[in-house]
Amino acid sequence: MSVIQVTHLTKDYGHNRGVFDVSFEVRKGEVFGFLGPNGAGKTTTIRHIMGFSRPQSGQTSVKGLSSWERHYEIQKDVGYLPGEIALPEHLTGTQFIKMMAELRGMTDMSYTNQLIERFALEASGGLKRMSLGMKRTLAVITAFMHDPAILVLDEPTSGLDPMMQDTFIQFIREEKKRGKTILLSSHIFSEVDATCDRISILKEGRLVSTFVADDLRHAESKEFKIEFSTKEDFERFREQVEYPKRFHVVSVKRHGNQVKVAINDQGINELIAVLSEYSLNFFTEIKFTLEDYFMKFYNRNTKVEGETVNAVH
Amino acid sequence: MFSKTIFKQTLTQNWKLWAAFTGLTAIMSAVIIAVYDPKMIQRMMDMVKDMPGIADMMGDRLNETTSLLGMLGESFYSMQGILLPLIFVIMTANTLVASQVDRGSMAYILSTPIQRTKVIRTQALYLITSILCMFLAVTLVGLGTVQIAHNGLWGQAYTADVKAASDTLGVDKEAAANDLTLILNSPDAIKAGARAREIDEDVYTAYLNLKLSEKAYGAAAEVLGLDIHTVSADPTLIKNDEAALKAAAGVMGLEPMMYGAMLNQAIAQKDMATEQAKAMQEKLMAGITAAAAQLNMEPGDLATSMGKIKGDSKAMHAMISASGLPEGMVAGILNQQLAGDEISLDNGINFKLGNYLLLNLGAFLLIFAIASISFLFSCVFNLTKNSLALGAGIPIACLIFQIMAKASGSLDNFKYLSLNTLFDPRAITSGGTFWPQFTALALLGAALYALGVTVFKEKDLPL
Ligand SMILES: Nc1ncnc2c1ncn2[C@@H]1O[C@H](COP(=O)(O)OP(=O)(O)OP(=O)(O)O)[C@@H](O)[C@H]1O
Ligand SMILES: [Mg+2]
Repeated sequence: MSVIQVTHLTKDYGHNRGVFDVSFEVRKGEVFGFLGPNGAGKTTTIRHIMGFSRPQSGQTSVKGLSSWERHYEIQKDVGYLPGEIALPEHLTGTQFIKMMAELRGMTDMSYTNQLIERFALEASGGLKRMSLGMKRTLAVITAFMHDPAILVLDEPTSGLDPMMQDTFIQFIREEKKRGKTILLSSHIFSEVDATCDRISILKEGRLVSTFVADDLRHAESKEFKIEFSTKEDFERFREQVEYPKRFHVVSVKRHGNQVKVAINDQGINELIAVLSEYSLNFFTEIKFTLEDYFMKFYNRNTKVEGETVNAVH
Repeated sequence: MFSKTIFKQTLTQNWKLWAAFTGLTAIMSAVIIAVYDPKMIQRMMDMVKDMPGIADMMGDRLNETTSLLGMLGESFYSMQGILLPLIFVIMTANTLVASQVDRGSMAYILSTPIQRTKVIRTQALYLITSILCMFLAVTLVGLGTVQIAHNGLWGQAYTADVKAASDTLGVDKEAAANDLTLILNSPDAIKAGARAREIDEDVYTAYLNLKLSEKAYGAAAEVLGLDIHTVSADPTLIKNDEAALKAAAGVMGLEPMMYGAMLNQAIAQKDMATEQAKAMQEKLMAGITAAAAQLNMEPGDLATSMGKIKGDSKAMHAMISASGLPEGMVAGILNQQLAGDEISLDNGINFKLGNYLLLNLGAFLLIFAIASISFLFSCVFNLTKNSLALGAGIPIACLIFQIMAKASGSLDNFKYLSLNTLFDPRAITSGGTFWPQFTALALLGAALYALGVTVFKEKDLPL
């Protein structure tokens, strides 16, 4: 069942900025990662989901309710963490929390106090004097305080120190276990890697890929780096293995006597058998991370096309 | 309709600015009311009149400025009382909406189950309430000052001469004010009173007599159940009614018969054949013209400040010889004229509560309408700088256009470009029409607030 639905959303700000024909859905109980380089249109999409902007065409809905028309109804079940933290500076942290609780019609503050404790926030000070991390933590608490079923988080860990990031990621995992639906935009691969079930990549306002994170993690293709002890072995390997195409050699480094070989999991025994005939300095697996994958999209110069992206599957 | 929580938080954010501007505006009004001194204003006006350029510019405004409300209308309710609230609303309107959208802090409020329209209506409510409270405070402080400094609301305002004369006589101020004959009968009291009023003793005596006869007409009018103007226009009414005659004579401290004789004289003077009166006028004019030549002044200017003739013996002689009237008569006429001036000065302090409240209502409505402009642009724009460009620019342009229109006749048409023209303090203090303008301000303001709310509801927010 889809909780957040974005269908053919288009918002053209001119000069090829904005979002164009973006469609995806976030299903109940999943953590959905939303990635893309700066200016890709992540925040713009999130603004539409929150009902702050009116779609030029297409539409967004939360729990089947149109974001734009029913913006105040959907907020009951949504916790929102804005990408830019701009708290009302004339309040103290405590006053701000109290105001948000009142606006949400909350009376029971025990969960909120639990969160304050968990994130170790000293909320009594004025917001003007809080450090960036404290303000972000406060924003995190106000996004979660009413224990909403849906969370929309725009770069939630930016500005948090590594300890805090860990606490937060741990927290997201627990929330996921409690059945929360989470949309999370991020630039931090480790965070996405650690939490997300499915991931969409946005580039220049267009959705370039949506995939299941586990498919990538358990990809059957692996790469190995091999360094030969001597030039002779290196040349022999190239003649006997590379040119006859017994294995797929991704790259070679002449001066280091190195080659990079890509194989499927089934081919591992054969590769080891072949390599036993050569004298090696080392033989290592190059860990394939999500990061490697994402970097292709982040690189502004590579024109990404649908088929190369999906080739990973 | 409105959100209590948002109102509360808007209040904590903005009350300091409100308090500062309200305090400043109220103090300004208090000071201007407290230092009001009709005599001083009159002297200032005389001075101004001597300078031809300024006199042209001020035009017919000269005479209305001498009363307290007239002066307030020309000063406070045209400048400080408009300018300070104007700055306040420009700043507040911007913080209420545009700056919160620009900074992004609006995002938190809108990520709760609250309708946009409710948020924006609450902000409009705060703006309107703050303006209302500001003018309430200014009005109350103003009324307090009128009471403390001029006794203008409750109780009798005693003029300086009554205070001085009653001290000399060793009687109550109230007793002296109620029975001016006490002063008239004591040369010492007259001396003290004249000094306090800074006028000659004979002018002061004429003033007391004039006041007394006015009071006598008043007493008679009360007995007759008539308007005082009707009675003073036709004194035979008193003569024909015994009770009225008695009441009036009592005020003058005279026997009814004696007073009756005085009335006869007054009636005779009123009935004086028009030709005779005209001849008299012509003689006087000739006298004044001669005195003016002697004093090197315009005759028209001299007519409104005849004290100058008395102060200059050459001018006095010129007037006597040119008019061909006996010296005693000329002096008498001059005294009468100057006594009349004193009476109109007394009336200056005459504080009309209704008009004062109307001045404040008008200022409130003007600021209410101006604030609606600033509020509208605060709703329209997502960036503070754009919101301020128009939300402050238009109100300030209005103010400047109004000042330009006032300053020079050739720029008079600028007044049609200015909202401020719809609040004309002079129309209130001198009986012009102002309700249609007030209605226009109220309607325009209400419409622009409503428009602001709609715009905000429909627009994209970069939050
Ligand atoms: N209100 C607006 N008017 C005009 N252009 C806009 C507006 N909002 C966003 N844009 C443009 O749309 C593009 C997408 O912006 P968006 O904030 O959605 O990017 P993002 O993916 O969130 O980037 P980041 O990772 O830096 O947060 C940018 O080029 C931005 O300049
Ligand atoms: Mg963003």
